[in-house]
Amino acid sequence: MHHRHARSTRGIGHALCDAMIMTAICSALGLAVNAWIHPHPLKLIADKPYETMVPCPVPGGKATALPCTDQRLYAKDSFIIDARDKASFDAWNVKGSMNVPFDYLDPTPPEMIEQVARKAASSHARRVVVYGDGQDPDTGEQLAKEISGKGIKNVFFVVGGAEAIRSKVDGGKP
Amino acid sequence: MNRFSKWRGHPWLALAVRVYLAGVFLFACVHKIANPSEFAMDIATYDILPLVLINPMAICLPWVELGAGILLLIGYRSKGAALAIAGMMFMFLVAIILALSKDIEMSCGCFASQAMESDPIGTWTVFRDSSWLLMAVYVIILDRHPMGIETWMNARRS
Repeated sequence: MHHRHARSTRGIGHALCDAMIMTAICSALGLAVNAWIHPHPLKLIADKPYETMVPCPVPGGKATALPCTDQRLYAKDSFIIDARDKASFDAWNVKGSMNVPFDYLDPTPPEMIEQVARKAASSHARRVVVYGDGQDPDTGEQLAKEISGKGIKNVFFVVGGAEAIRSKVDGGKP
Repeated sequence: MNRFSKWRGHPWLALAVRVYLAGVFLFACVHKIANPSEFAMDIATYDILPLVLINPMAICLPWVELGAGILLLIGYRSKGAALAIAGMMFMFLVAIILALSKDIEMSCGCFASQAMESDPIGTWTVFRDSSWLLMAVYVIILDRHPMGIETWMNARRS
């Protein structure tokens, strides 16, 4: 019994020794590769704190939820905005919609908001309807609140975003 | 317990566990070695280590994962490698549990700097890392006659 216990302790001791030697060798190798070989080496000591918390703009306006079945979405007096990125907009969009990609990190440029207001006014629209990616959070809802916060009235967002409209309009077909 | 520890299938089961753990760690280290700055950002997001230790950790840890993965795979000093992996898993578990206790919403950073949505830390991450820790402990305790290069070398010597 004592022999078995001694053997097991010795085994763990050997394993610990092996683990420490391996850790030391691998760490030295990593430091050497980082110093001399790596194409994008990392400074051994960071000179400034990492910015891990990126503040996101909080849209402040009010926007009303609109189901994709609501006829106001398809009405002629609705000005439609697509909040998705340009690639998604090019792949599929609601006819006559304007692409204003929403970015969680950057507020929409004021000139873009002005353009939206101008176009909405010139089209004699009675409301602005925004649709986005339909995710949680939804880019459409965020952009709608942002636009509303900049002073544009009667702003709606489509619940479920582009996917919901698409499945309603053409049964999900491209 | 005694009957379980005497079971003859342990070397085979341990071989499978070793190969699996080796695969996990070899896969995990690739992105970290290629992009140490992204891994450093992941470590910083956990908000546990002081600034002076973040970059050395980001540089060295993936190489230890690589070394441990290779040793487990080839069966050389596999108990030492499994012990190193158990140590790392314990460290990762503590980091994840601390981050969860601080309500930090972040990506695990275990395999690649994915978006938070695709690999968030949570109960599943704790369960997954705990299972890997148990596998490493299994190799340390019950893999008494490990199959691999070391066994082959010993057989040749004797």
